[in-house]
Amino acid sequence: MVGQRKLSIFSILNTIILIGVAIATLYPVWYITVISFSDTVSVLQGKVFLWPKGFNFDAYVQVLKDSKIPRAYLNTIYYTALGTFINLLFTAVAAYPLAQRDFFGRKFWMLGIILTMFLNAGIIPTYMIVQKLGLIDTVWALVLPNAIWTFELIILKSFYENMSSQIREAAKIDGASEYRILFSIVIPLSKPALASIGLFYFMGHWNSFFLPLIYLNDKDMFPLQIILRDMLIFNSESDSALVDRAALAPQAMKNATIVLSMIPVLLIYPFAQKYFAQGVMLGSEKG
Amino acid sequence: MQQPSVETGKLRTKKPLDSRFAATLKHIRRDRQLLLLFIPCVLFYVIFRYGPLYGLVIAFKDYSVFQGVMGSEWVGLEHFQKFFSNQDFWMLFRNTFLLGFFTLIFGFPFPIILAVLLNEVRVKWFKKSIQTFSYLPAFLSVVIISSMIIDFLSPTNGLINQFISFLGFEKKYFLVDPNWFRPIYVISEIWATMGYQAIIYLAAIAGINPTLYEAAKVDGANRWHMMRNITVPGLMPTVIVMFILNTGNMFRIGYEKVLLLYNPLTYDVADVFSTYVYRKGLLESSYSYAAAVGMFESVVALVMLLGANQLSKRMGGSGLW
Repeated sequence: MVGQRKLSIFSILNTIILIGVAIATLYPVWYITVISFSDTVSVLQGKVFLWPKGFNFDAYVQVLKDSKIPRAYLNTIYYTALGTFINLLFTAVAAYPLAQRDFFGRKFWMLGIILTMFLNAGIIPTYMIVQKLGLIDTVWALVLPNAIWTFELIILKSFYENMSSQIREAAKIDGASEYRILFSIVIPLSKPALASIGLFYFMGHWNSFFLPLIYLNDKDMFPLQIILRDMLIFNSESDSALVDRAALAPQAMKNATIVLSMIPVLLIYPFAQKYFAQGVMLGSEKG
Repeated sequence: MQQPSVETGKLRTKKPLDSRFAATLKHIRRDRQLLLLFIPCVLFYVIFRYGPLYGLVIAFKDYSVFQGVMGSEWVGLEHFQKFFSNQDFWMLFRNTFLLGFFTLIFGFPFPIILAVLLNEVRVKWFKKSIQTFSYLPAFLSVVIISSMIIDFLSPTNGLINQFISFLGFEKKYFLVDPNWFRPIYVISEIWATMGYQAIIYLAAIAGINPTLYEAAKVDGANRWHMMRNITVPGLMPTVIVMFILNTGNMFRIGYEKVLLLYNPLTYDVADVFSTYVYRKGLLESSYSYAAAVGMFESVVALVMLLGANQLSKRMGGSGLW
């Protein structure tokens, strides 16, 4: 009897705690969205908590009329699309030879690649190379310095290794070149793995903040995250820190920009679960 | 491309060194298509991973843009000496260490607890939904997370301050108060990472042998007993590995968030190696000095990681590699 009662108390407590966790993660996102649809006066008076007050789209109209934000949005889409494509192409093409057990110099290549996970030169020397190559203020500065993530490369290599080698042997006997085997057999067969690592690459580019911060000076090239940061924290180097930073930018407009920037991510998110969990798991096993 | 078999036959009868050389050539020729595919990868790692390592020589030089890396003058350890004797050094060391340490100590238990609690849920859809919601923050950018922090803590109309004044206390300027920087950093870090780290532990729980639970049930154990005596011990190997990994990565601070949240009033507690390198190197253009600081940070991080691994081997564990 006692055990039975304890158990149900535990279940109730557990449910309450878990609902608390869900609220804690969802509410901030919900709150941002609600503010973006509310009228400025209610927001400033601190009357908005759960539902929009004075529901309107003004903030969104303002954002779309703004000269910077739509362009930044297009920039982000462009950088993310190109960046993710280059990432996947480079990773897939690099993982394929490495997955062949008797590939020339395989051990040497793997050692060279894994060592880079431990040896990190830091921001400055990398910046200097990007500068030297003349990539500053080009999209390539955001794409090439991280064209391959070593972690994702190793994950994909393991995936290829576990694919049946019979397909490759059979294709070879039929006279297919390695290029043909890779692009018309191996890559199509590895779609689930590519989707999983592609998700991480995609998120990396869409949310990227530091690389555009250091590599882009041209305001017309700024992606969304930089624009957001400017709305959020202008003059963090000056004495305006004493002024309330949040009050400086129009709340609703800023939040509308955040919501717009979250839309693609939130659209992908429910479908990405499987791949996301897969990626985290594979990553942790390799780590 | 086919070589006459006569020639290969001739090579095979020669001295071992020659034949090894010939075998290598043959291997290269056989793998030529694969090697061609591999060129972009080699170029990437040489230019963007090993290139910067070579570029670190500027930490021992007085780099000037006009003279280039090669032409700049050697100054030995001057930049390191300057850094170690600078009063900033201990502040940066302390801040980096404390932010990492507090994140590790306070943040580590949360995903484990969440995973154990989720595992106790019997209603499938509820478990699935909560888990999905819990890792939503992993999809948000650091700029958005920082923006939320600033909004929620805003003294004019932030929710937290509205609540504080509702309770009758005075509003707080959280982000300009040095005492609050570390708690804000650590709590938001927990909020952002708890959900996806729980995935790893949930998978570990799923890997526990189900017959253990059945046997316990037969012996009359309730769910509390099973949680304490089967689930938690079954998780321990994963917990230990994750702890070592996190300890090794302790010095890798989420500097982007620091960069977004700090300001001159909180530099004393917030400034870490990476943000210092960014300011000195890229904003003030002291390349050599910043490179030296960055190199020191990398070395410390590497030592931490190797040390954590060694320790786990000493303690009878397998180590991470």
